[in-house]
Formats: sequence, structure tokens, C-alpha cells
Amino acid sequence: MPNIKNKTGVGQAIDRVEGHLKVMGMAKYSTEFPVKNKVYGQGINSTIAKGEIVSIDTSEAEKLPGVLKVITYKNAEKLNTFDQVPTAISTTTIAPVLQSNKVHYYGEYIGLVVAETFEQAQHAARLVKFEYRKDPNPAIHLDKHEGKAYKPKDMEDYVLGNLEAGLSAADEVVDVTYTTPIEHQHPMELHAIIATWDNGKVMAYATQQMVNDATIAISDTFQIPKKNVRIISAFVGGGFGSKLNTERHVIMAVMAAKMVGKPVQVTVTRHQMFTNTGLRQFNIQKMKVGAKKDGTLTALAHETLSHTSPTQEFQEPCGQVTKMLYKVPNNRVTYRLVPLNIQTPFAMRAPGEATGSFALESAMDEMAWKLKMDPIDFRIKNDTQVDLSEKKPFSSRLLVECLRIGAEKFGWKERSMEPRTKRNGNWLIGYGVSAASRQAPYQKTNAKVILALEGNKVNATVRMDGTDIGTGSYTIIAQTASEYLKIPVEQVTVELGDSEFPVTPGSGGSWGAASYCNAVMAACENAVKTLRENRNIKEEEEVPLAKLLKRNQLKQFEADGSAEPSKEFNDHSVYSFGANFSEVWVDKDTGMYRIKRMVNVGAAGKILNPKTAYGQIIGGLTMGAGMVIAEQSRIEPNFGNFITRSFADYHVPVNLDMANIEVVFLPEDDKIANKMGVKGIGELGITSVAASIANAIFNATGKRMRELPITPEKLISAAVEPNVAS
Amino acid sequence: MRPFTYTSATTKEQALQAFHPNAHYLGGGTNLVDLMKEDVERPDQLININNLSYSKITAGANGGLTLGAMARNAETANHRDVRTNYPLLSMAMLSAATAQIRNMASNGGNLLQRTRCPYFFETSMPCNKREPGSGCGAKNGMNAVHAIFGYSDKCVAVHPSDMCVALAAIGATVEVQQPGGSSRLIDFNDFHRLPGDQPEKDTTLQPGELITAIHLAPPSFADHYYYLKIRERSSYAFALVSVAAGLQINNGTITKAGLAMGCVAHKPWKLIKAEAYLAGKQPTQANFDAAADLEMNDAKPLQENKYKVEMGRNAIVRALTQAFDRKA
Repeated sequence: MPNIKNKTGVGQAIDRVEGHLKVMGMAKYSTEFPVKNKVYGQGINSTIAKGEIVSIDTSEAEKLPGVLKVITYKNAEKLNTFDQVPTAISTTTIAPVLQSNKVHYYGEYIGLVVAETFEQAQHAARLVKFEYRKDPNPAIHLDKHEGKAYKPKDMEDYVLGNLEAGLSAADEVVDVTYTTPIEHQHPMELHAIIATWDNGKVMAYATQQMVNDATIAISDTFQIPKKNVRIISAFVGGGFGSKLNTERHVIMAVMAAKMVGKPVQVTVTRHQMFTNTGLRQFNIQKMKVGAKKDGTLTALAHETLSHTSPTQEFQEPCGQVTKMLYKVPNNRVTYRLVPLNIQTPFAMRAPGEATGSFALESAMDEMAWKLKMDPIDFRIKNDTQVDLSEKKPFSSRLLVECLRIGAEKFGWKERSMEPRTKRNGNWLIGYGVSAASRQAPYQKTNAKVILALEGNKVNATVRMDGTDIGTGSYTIIAQTASEYLKIPVEQVTVELGDSEFPVTPGSGGSWGAASYCNAVMAACENAVKTLRENRNIKEEEEVPLAKLLKRNQLKQFEADGSAEPSKEFNDHSVYSFGANFSEVWVDKDTGMYRIKRMVNVGAAGKILNPKTAYGQIIGGLTMGAGMVIAEQSRIEPNFGNFITRSFADYHVPVNLDMANIEVVFLPEDDKIANKMGVKGIGELGITSVAASIANAIFNATGKRMRELPITPEKLISAAVEPNVAS
Repeated sequence: MRPFTYTSATTKEQALQAFHPNAHYLGGGTNLVDLMKEDVERPDQLININNLSYSKITAGANGGLTLGAMARNAETANHRDVRTNYPLLSMAMLSAATAQIRNMASNGGNLLQRTRCPYFFETSMPCNKREPGSGCGAKNGMNAVHAIFGYSDKCVAVHPSDMCVALAAIGATVEVQQPGGSSRLIDFNDFHRLPGDQPEKDTTLQPGELITAIHLAPPSFADHYYYLKIRERSSYAFALVSVAAGLQINNGTITKAGLAMGCVAHKPWKLIKAEAYLAGKQPTQANFDAAADLEMNDAKPLQENKYKVEMGRNAIVRALTQAFDRKA
């Protein structure tokens, strides 16, 4: 067999291997699996923010044709509940539901109606009558309850050097507060499940980012053995963090399946996705920056005040970026949480870094303006190759290169330092820049590869419980197998999302690509190595895979592989870096603005597939632009409900809002990160975009917008900074 | 949603006869069906009127144009006569919603779309429009997108339409069929009403009346027009403030002005004072400023929508400037 050049291996911009299934509607999402005799569950949500249920009348609902069961705390299965409150939330945390008459937030599940059809269940759910004893003073506003702030358990105050000394030594100080609103992940695919309970065994088609963790959460909640729980999540229509953990509709579906003895499908409505599947919390971030006249940073502080629910604790690490991005001898990062009657927040794309980088990179821009220094030069001056918070060198860090190359591509030299001086008709034109960073974690992952000889051809099947949440996992895994088995990608089948497959950490936190592909590489290498060793094949002899199987007299062969962080990895700080550039045009009178252009330069290790990688960055940039343009979930101050109820109210960017985007990947060979040199890019794209746009708005208007989103109403009401000539 | 029955009418007589107080005519359904899913609208019967013969756009009296009530928004906005003689209407209609919604939404239905006030949409909150007597949550609640003109203690909601703002500027008459079989004409500015003590009534339509046509006044603003819509994103968002501006200019003098604002009141807000002020004047920046001030001096913003006063003023001036500059 000729030594063919592999056009489908790692690094090739091939189309998605599952793309045709998706466009033809043949990719089965969780509730599209044909399950016989399935019935439908519809969750009922509380309509108060705090209090107790004093009576429930299910009679009208139960009278309706098709209604099988109305489940409330009165008749629900007893579940494992939290030993202590609040409990820190993780991806394996139990999800008790319908266990008491207490209501902790508006929209909390207080019941589930099970009926033969979806329409019957929905209608009946409205007919169940709840009476409450309402607590007249629910805690809804963070600022009104600041006095209740406490230090979250796992987040110690971080102190390097002496902040006050650093501020005293500074020639200029920036001391400002930024806020970011509650946002929701809102993947296109609604959360959904079809659950079956059969003799103590759970089988569920559920849209989850991490299936192994879901089996743990379900088994712990019901106190049944983990081996009795099987989850299939073959295709996931987006997650953005909301499908990392096991939400309560999953538990309700399993419970209902047990109680009615039939498979139960529960779909979370778009409206319920505001109250029942996680959110990005509202953060108040106080920043202090001290610098010498020459631009040397002397002090940096990042205090985050945020909220969690009364029963569970979560804090997104906004200050993470402030600990590692710049060389600064005096640094303080703290977190405080206030329990509010709002559902428990959880990770949303680049938790901490997306919001924290808005504060840090805006504050850096404010300082550069005070110093009358170019913001790129200011950042480069304070670059570090050592992560001072970890006291470890970075495995690779091309931030300066990202800034310089980006400046070149963007035409940064055309920027006017003085705001309000670049104009075109009614438009004020501004340029903004920001530095981006995102951890490149990597976790222990297992994979199996099955080789099958068919004539002179080998077909390979890769199996792992990892998921493709729309990012391209299927494709890059197939490319990895293609690369290391030296067969075309068409001969590779990838099977994902079944908890009976080898265990992976699932998709989240930007670790998917590196973790999955290194394990697949290991499995493929193990397969080839074993087959060669069995026949004592000399190292220099090249034997194609089909011949190798034939020489082993095998029609089929299986090998496992796993990958995990090395000692070298643990001795380094491993991050992806990038730079964002934005050009924004702001109408001088109306508060309207347009993002005209964006350039993103990233250094994120080996790019497995430029096509899917571009998609990730463009998606991240769009979501970052959304943080600026309009994305926010607003809570009614008296009632505690979200008044943003649907995509008509929760404004994500539309195509017209988005700029011309140029995405550049710098070549980076980082074998410390992992053998393949892969760093995740699912979250790098969203990081610091908001700051680059807000900085461009300042450059255009002289208005410093410290509160996201920057809506026309805020922009028209804001004043020009005192030191800007208007 | 709640169970309901469905009938399809093929003649206006059938539709009128099928009507009863808990029934609802079904046009494009882009607003009604959403509200039924939210349990805000609770008809027990839907009468499909999409097959009635009111979907044509035809020449009207005195050189005007008649828009069939069942013609779709997309078809109307892109109709040759609308684009040529009423480009202001076309521009406003194309700024609304999304292409998909415009393809479904009917002209009659556009007039009848309900407010986007969040208190109206959430059945657990008070709203006099949804449930008379329950109170107005927005008056002292979240009212950033609410009225600055013409509201009452009972309701501060705004009418969300773009099309209607242009119609108010251009001038139109709404033709309706009455249950008894006769028809009547309603001046467009009398069609929508202010909330007063009855915010549950958006319009002056009587129960069972069916809109059959919108008669546009003869065209005056084909050369100088602009629809300015300020919103949070570039598509699929309701206006924070919008302005429809039409100018008729002869020999450097404004002979007629058509001006209306959207999302500032319970009805499309016709700027009668500004229109009267501009007639006979020069199209200058000073006159545009004065016209805008004349209207905005009457604004009474609520707690959270003070921004609408400056935004509204600037939007009027900008729309007039753009209308003047626009070369047909």
C-alpha cells in the first residue's frame, strides 16, 4: 500500500464528520430517541420568591383526561438531601427536588404533572393550585443585602506583597467599580430527558455535558448504585455550562418514571431555563490599579461581591485573571457572597474569566489613559512569563506576540489617543484593545479503539463517554484516530455520550479537546504498538494497519488508552492567550452604536481543525459582544421573577450586530500542556471581548461604561469623563 | 395552553356569525398564539380569518392606497406601490420583528398587537390590562421601556408596533365590518386609545368587529422620509424610541409634515404640535430642534425611563434631518 499523505488527520480543516446528520435532521438529540409508551412531565414553578406552601389542590388537574399523576412534596419519592446548607455546588452534586414545602426562589420547582400527552401535561400543570405563606421580605437585591456578605468556603483571600504599599508607591491610581448582570447560558437545545426506571435501574436519554458526573449525581440523589444508572447524550445542542451538572428536571423525570411505571419525558421550557438550569451571577467588581509614570504596575486589587442561593454556594472566579495576567508585586483578590432568593448560579462559558477580564482589562485601559500611554505598550511593559500566583512558569505564553500581531492586522496605529477626535458624520469612531487569557486544563481521560478488517481496509470505531456539545468533538476525535492509525477519516466512526463507554471528564472548562484527543491518541498508539510487538516488527519497517491485522491473523482488535496530566504539566501554569481588537462607531446623539470590526489573535497550542476552531472563537466573540450589547436577565425587584422571559426579551446578538471578524491563530508548540500540544479554545474567544468593545466606546465617546450591558439608554445617559475634551 | 375550538371562516359573514365574546379572530397568529401559550389570552374559540378575501393591496380613493387587512406585513412592505409612494411605511415595517414573523403577520393583526410590558406577560404579577382591577406593577416597578406620554395611574404600557407609527405619520383610515353586517370607518388616530380607566381596551374596536382594510391617505412623503428605530440590537427587538418622519417640501419650504413616535405611549404618538409648527417653515436645524422641544416638553417620564426624553428629542431631530437629506 502506498504511503498516502493523510488529508484528514490532525490540523486539517475538514468538514464536521457529523455535519450531514445534523443538516438532515438525523442526529438524534435526547428527546428524539424512540422510546415506547413514553409519557410527558411538565414542571410547575413557584410564583413567590420566598415562603412556604400551605395548601395544594390537585383535584382539577387530576380530573383532566390523560393526567396520570401530580407529584408535589406531599407524595414525592424521598431523596437524599443536603447534610448542610449551603452546600458547594459541583458537577456531581445531588439535586434534591420536591422534598419540602419551602420555597427559596421564584420559579423553583414545586410540582410535576405527568400526562399522556405534552399538551395535557402543560394544561394540567396550570390547574394545580398552590397557596403560600409568603415571606414579605425576600432577598432579591444584592446591594440591599451587602451586610450579609460572607467569604465562600473554598475561596481564600489571595494576597501577594502589600497592596496599600503598592498603591502608595504609585504615581497614578485607578479605583473604580464594574458590574456585570445576570446572564443565562441559553443553549439552542432546551434541557430535556427521557427517563426510564426499571427494577431499580435508570436509563436516560438526557442532554448533559458530562455523562459520568450525571450518573454519580443521579445515583447519589436516589441512593442507588452508580452501575444502575446509564445516561446517553449522543448529541448536545449547546451547553455553555448549563448542562454541566444534573439539574432538577432530570431527577423529577427519573422520579416520575419510577412512580408511574412508564418512561417519562421532561422538557424544560425556554421560560424555565431562566429559573431552573443555572445562570451567570451578577457581579460587583471593585478594581484598584496603581502604576508608576513609566507604566510599571505597582498594585492591583480585584474584589468581587456576588450572590448565591440560600441552599447552595457558587462563585465564579472573576479575580482569577487578575492573579496571573500581569507582573505586579502587590496583588489582592477576594470574593464575598450574599445569599439571595435567586436560583443557584453556576458556570457559564469562561466562568470568572469572561466577567473578570471585563473589569481588569477595562481598568488597565483606564490606567493607560491616565498615564497617556498606548494601552498595548502598557500591557507589554507589564508582561510576565511567570504566573506569580502559582509561582510557576507558564508552559507557553505568546500574549505579547498576540498584541503585536493583532495591532498590525487591525491597523492600531490609526487609533487616535484622544477620545472624540475620530469622526465620520454623526458617528464617533473608537478603537479598543484587551488581552485575553484562559486556563488550558487537562484531565484524566480514557478511550477505546476497535479495529475491524474489511477486505484490505480497516474501519476503526472510537468510543468514549465524552460529548460533542456542538463544538466539533466528533470531528477532532475522528481526525486524531485518522492521524495515529494512518487511515482516512471516512474509515473512522466515533461514538460518544454513553456512560457505558470509557470514562472522560466530559465537555466543559475548555478541557474537552486536549483530554479527548490525547486519550484517543494513546488508544491508537497502543493498538498499533501491540499489533507490531506481537509480530516482532522492527521499528524501521512500515506496515499499514490492514497488513498489521492480517499478519496478526486478526479480523478485529481492541485497545484502550488513557491520558492524564504529566508532572511537567503540574509544574507549570498552562494557559491559552489572546488579544482582542474592536472598532466601534457610536452615534453622537441617539445612544446607538455599531461594532464595525474585530480582530482576535489567539495562541492556543495545536489547532486540531481550523474550521471548528474558528467556529469556537467566532462564537465566543459573538457571545462576548452580546455581553456588551444587550444580554442581561432582569429581576423584578418586588416579585423576584425574571422579566426577561424568552429570546424576544433576552437579547443575544443578531447577525446584523456582528462585525467583520478576523481570527488569527499563532503557531504554538506546547508539549508541556500535553503530548499533542492541544489547548482548549471553547472559552478563550469570549474572554475580554467585552473590555475591548467598552474601551473602544471610551475611545469614541470619552464615556467610561463600567456597567454591562451597554445599552443605548445607558450610553445616552452617561457623562463624558472630566479629563476628556468634548 | 388551554383547550380551545377552531373554526375556519371563508366569508366575512361566517366569521362575524361565529364570533362570541370568548372567541378570537386568528390572523397571522404571531402575537395571539404566543400570548395563549403564556396563558395571557384565553379564548375558547379561534376563528381563522386568513381565508377571507382581504389580502389585496389596491388603489384607493384620491390617489391613496388600500391595504387589505389580511395582506402580510412582508408583502405589504415590499409592494411596488408601497415602496414607491409610501416608502416611510415600507421602511418602518421592514424594521419590525424578523423576516419570518413579517411573512406571517397580517396588517390587521399588526394594529391589534398587544403591549410587551413584562407585567402584562406574567400572570403572577398585577396588570390592569390583563386583569382589570389587579393593579399596575409597572407604574412603580420596572418601567424603563414604558410610556412618557398619555399614561394613567392604571397603565403605563406602550404600543409596540412600528407599522402603526408610520401610519400615524402618513394618515390613514381603518375600515371595519360590524357584527350586524354594516361597515364603518375609523380615523387611524382614533383607532388606538389611551389607557385612562380602561387599559384592557387597546383600541376603539367593538366586540366582534373585524378589520378589513387600511386606507392610506394620498401620498405626501415619498421624497422626504425616515423611520428611526432605536433599540438594543439591530433586529428582532422592539424600539426603545422610534420616530416616523415625513416631509413635503416645495421650493425650500415645508408644506406638510407627518410625524409620530413609537414606544412612548399607549398608542402611536402623533406629534401634532410639531407637525403644525413645521408647516410653512424652512427645513433647518433650528426649526427641527424647536419642533422636537415643543413635543418633548410635554413628556412626563417615570422613574426608570428618563432617558427617553433626551433620546426622543434627539431622535425626532435626527429623523427630520435624515428625511430632509434623503434624496428619493
